[in-house]
Amino acid sequence: MRVAIVVLAAGVLLAGCEEKLTTPGQCPALCPGGESQVFDEVIEPITGADSSFRGYIQPYQSHALLVSNGLLGFEERGVIRFSRRPDSVGVRDTLRAYTVDSVVLGLSVVARDTSLNGVQVELYRLPPLIDSTTTYTALDPAFVPSNLVATIGLPDTVNFGPIRTLLQGADLATVAIPPADSGVLALGVRVVSPTPTGLRLGSIAAGTGATFTTYATLDVPDTGTAKLRTLGLSPQFNSSLAAVPQADDSTVLAVGGAPSARALLRFALPPRIRDSATIVRATLELTPVTTITGLPSDPVRLEARTVLADLGAKSPLGSALGRVPADTIPAGTSGLISMEAVRLVQLWQGTPSRPSALMLSLAPELESASFSSPVFYSSRAADPALRPRLHISYLLEFPFEKP
Amino acid sequence: MRRAFTLLLLAVTPGVALAQASQFGVRGLGFPGRPFTARGLASGGAFGLFDPESSLNPAALGGATALTSVFTISSASMHQENPAGTSSTRNIRFPLLMVVGPVRGSKTALGLSYSSYTSRDFSVARAYTIDLRGVPVGVTDSLSSRGGLSDLRLAGSVGFKNGWQVGGGFHVITGSNRLEARRSFSDVNLLPSHQLAEVSYAGVGVSVGLIRQLGSGFAVAALARSDGHLNVDRDSTPVGKTDLPYTFGLGLRWHPLANLDVAGQTIVRTWSGANSDLLQQGGTGASNTLEVSGGLEYTPDPKRPYRRPIRLGGHYAQLPFPLIAGEQGHEYGISGGSGMRFAQQRGGIDLTLEHTWRSEGAYSEHGFTVTVGISVRP
Repeated sequence: MRVAIVVLAAGVLLAGCEEKLTTPGQCPALCPGGESQVFDEVIEPITGADSSFRGYIQPYQSHALLVSNGLLGFEERGVIRFSRRPDSVGVRDTLRAYTVDSVVLGLSVVARDTSLNGVQVELYRLPPLIDSTTTYTALDPAFVPSNLVATIGLPDTVNFGPIRTLLQGADLATVAIPPADSGVLALGVRVVSPTPTGLRLGSIAAGTGATFTTYATLDVPDTGTAKLRTLGLSPQFNSSLAAVPQADDSTVLAVGGAPSARALLRFALPPRIRDSATIVRATLELTPVTTITGLPSDPVRLEARTVLADLGAKSPLGSALGRVPADTIPAGTSGLISMEAVRLVQLWQGTPSRPSALMLSLAPELESASFSSPVFYSSRAADPALRPRLHISYLLEFPFEKP
Repeated sequence: MRRAFTLLLLAVTPGVALAQASQFGVRGLGFPGRPFTARGLASGGAFGLFDPESSLNPAALGGATALTSVFTISSASMHQENPAGTSSTRNIRFPLLMVVGPVRGSKTALGLSYSSYTSRDFSVARAYTIDLRGVPVGVTDSLSSRGGLSDLRLAGSVGFKNGWQVGGGFHVITGSNRLEARRSFSDVNLLPSHQLAEVSYAGVGVSVGLIRQLGSGFAVAALARSDGHLNVDRDSTPVGKTDLPYTFGLGLRWHPLANLDVAGQTIVRTWSGANSDLLQQGGTGASNTLEVSGGLEYTPDPKRPYRRPIRLGGHYAQLPFPLIAGEQGHEYGISGGSGMRFAQQRGGIDLTLEHTWRSEGAYSEHGFTVTVGISVRP
């Protein structure tokens, strides 16, 4: 028995011992295989194979309406068409007419220039037949004082959130809906401020669209009582209209704008990197053609997504978690923009069929919804220093077989 | 006495909790194993060429009197010093597994063993600064290896009436190193790298040995072995060949008293045959090695030789794979141990405590190794 205990004790103590093998290294003596060397390589896109494509997100599909009074050198206005307001309300199986007591029009501020005070939002009555084909020019005559519905002062302390105006009494005439309009109210939105600025307002796509709430009284003769009703309506259509249409230059890479643009960059990754290198850093470097404009204090978020199959403008994009490099670019940026893209470039390794290409775009919630629309030099730039490039740091396969 | 032995065992085993991986196993094929049982190690390996339970000399199988299986556990703790600093390491090995037994009705014995040929368990870490994109960046590198080469031996021996014992063995030398290189950077924009590979080896060898009993108190043993070459594959892709050494051994055993055995042996391995291959593969080469050991076994009760004998020994060995090309490391060791049989001698346990010093230039290490051998004779 005692022997068994001894054997057991020795076995447990020996076998249960935790190993600790680490020795301080000293090369070359204790470095079989030598030292791993980090290589640096700068890769430019395939010349002429980088392009911009526009039309991914239309202004009426965007997550915010853009309203400005010359922030980018021209005016942008928002247009909203609410869903139909019925002219009667059912009470006890009977449709009954109602009397409008008051109306509340609400907007949601997504972003503003927080350093600018005295900003006002003007609401104009528009013809009810606005849709995606409506142009700025077509609606411009409607933005006249006689069509002004209300002016909402934007409190200087409000950086974002809802704003609203209450209409009652004689002011209700400005939002009265004649039978010819079939119960549809359409509004135009302008911004007024001491210096040019812009507002990003909530939209249908983001679930933060404008609100049109009618407070009404129903006369119910049978009971001799008055019934109060609230008719809340949301927009059926909204969009932003710019005084100057978006212009494109095929020799540069445009991102953002309205409709939104994306830029496709194709790279020829050398086989030694593609096949077996361990990439430890990859930096996408872009040079803006001009200073990036936009709303102060509302930076734009630039993203790069890997191309799963190269079908040009309609290439499907990857969006795996952690594999979408992004950078936040404030308005006024003019120097080199660097995005850490190692996780994206790693996706190009190991799968021969996967193209070494990426698509630059604004973050999905900012496409057609940001005043910033960066434009970068492409591979066609005469000065090589201005061209986009991928700066890759990598290790080659460690020579484990060296004894 | 039994209580004292138990206390001795328990007193030394806490040292096991601090036990080794040798920095001298980083280069070449690793740190060479010593194919001895705990019993053989206790006397410095001096009885290795005569020990039927060690897998060194096939002729020694003839000493097995019953079917025996042996299992050995070894735990080492080392304190290492080199120009980069100091560290304490510990590791566990299972250096020997053996089954040996006589063929009934003949003077023949057969044995199958699995022993450590070389061990390549290590982890080397270092921190330094490199220039990356024009900026100094802190780097921490580590290179780890697990594995080594094992020697699978099938051997047999035949005894002759005039005191000769002759044996032969066929060896399969196989194994792999699972290697891992990691690098991390102080700059968070740089991802840590992690590379893995498996380097595997395969080769065969043959050995012949003999033991000659000269009278009742003196015996001599000799060994010759050729291991051919190793085929080296990295992740199943052939990357090279490495010649393995010839091994020559000579041992003497003297039985001057009824309760005392004294032995000594010398083993030479021609590792320089691997020198050109290892240099060609980017290594630091290899040198021939000489191993000399001497030891004794004192049996308090000659009628019961397995009842807590006292074994003492020492050895000196050169190391085949230098850390720095052109140099050669060496080790000294002193050892002691005992053992006992129980369950009508069907079970046995042997314990060895060994202290070892190794050095090569500015690189050195020393520490204790505890080896426990468990034998079963069904």
